[in-house]
Amino acid sequence: MNKTRASVLLAALVMSASVLPVALKAQAHSGTPVLAIADARTREAVTREIDRAASRGLPVRALVAKAQEGVTKQAAGERIRAAVTSLARRLEQARDLLAPSPSDAEMIAGADALAVGVPAPMLRQIRSAYPAGQSVAMPLDVLTELVARGVPASNALEQITQLMRRGATPTHIAGVGASVQSDVAAGLTPDAALEVRARGVMSLLPSPAAAAALAPRGPRP
Amino acid sequence: MTDERDQLINRVRSTLRDERRVAPQPQAVARLLQTVWASPRPSFWRRALDAWRLPALSGLGASAIAAAALMIGFVSRGAVTPNSASEPTVASGPATGEFPVQLAADDATVRLVPTQFVFESAEAKSVSVVGEFNDWEVDELPMTRVRDGVWTTTVPLAPGRHVYAFVVDGTLLVADPRAPKSGDADYGREGSVVMVFAR
Repeated sequence: MNKTRASVLLAALVMSASVLPVALKAQAHSGTPVLAIADARTREAVTREIDRAASRGLPVRALVAKAQEGVTKQAAGERIRAAVTSLARRLEQARDLLAPSPSDAEMIAGADALAVGVPAPMLRQIRSAYPAGQSVAMPLDVLTELVARGVPASNALEQITQLMRRGATPTHIAGVGASVQSDVAAGLTPDAALEVRARGVMSLLPSPAAAAALAPRGPRP
Repeated sequence: MTDERDQLINRVRSTLRDERRVAPQPQAVARLLQTVWASPRPSFWRRALDAWRLPALSGLGASAIAAAALMIGFVSRGAVTPNSASEPTVASGPATGEFPVQLAADDATVRLVPTQFVFESAEAKSVSVVGEFNDWEVDELPMTRVRDGVWTTTVPLAPGRHVYAFVVDGTLLVADPRAPKSGDADYGREGSVVMVFAR
């Protein structure tokens, strides 16, 4: 093999190697995977719904999981369709509330929060409590879990946003959520558990003045 | 490009030789130009391949470049997450009442946390775990019987709130009795919740 051919082959190999992951990822995310829904009409309707969601930039994986959950739970076709449509609506709402550029994880966490009854404006409040670009997926997950355990949404929001503004990391906030779960399982009321655990984390954080001084500043005018 | 230029020079040289080194006459110049332009041009693909010509490399060098390109491609597209599930984090899930912890601030740099699921059933012939993390696929995460009536499996999960359930003998969906319950407004079959995060 002469040098010219070897060089050309090498170039082709490098290009293929760079493009292959893109192609594989595209295959994984583009188009709707084959759904294991027995009823053909339901399957087509759900596929259409998922395709529509994909064209609007919503996370397809969550919708596929929701459809498959219905199959595993042996739900009727109409119920699967309704569940997927409802989730697509919540994902879209969450995307708008968490603007400007929520990640898939944030949209899914937002949709879950809406599903357990967190009022929509609270998603905006959570978003604004962290600097732009820092994920609010975990604070949303913890808010969802607290509300699901019976903490009034307003109380849960107040504690979480206070922690976020004081500089608590998502790990701190997740720790509060997990501790509250354990406390509730041990018999404490959800409200009391949240107050105690949030206060515990708060005592480890810098004072409000120090947190404000450390907070990232916007661009200078 | 070099080949094309060489061919052109050769054609010009050959034509000039035919003119026996006489002073260029207008007719000779015209003939020369006609000869050059009449020559078949290299095809598009030939020129494209010429444009891609690179310095020759050894087999080892070529392999290294290809491997690097492949890795860069996978990492940059998120098909491979650096450090994903690489750290042997002590995992405890619903089995112990504690919750595995691990987290990164940004979704793109999430590290997976090995999370253990445990289910007790003396009668079960098979048990698997299903949830959003495996698209509720019944056969994807089978659990292993570690002793009489105790089934377990460990699954690397992204930090966050996960809803799951156990499937006994392929069909019976059971919530985890050791974990908080999740509501299910969509299908009316409640599961369980695990909060996964980094310690």
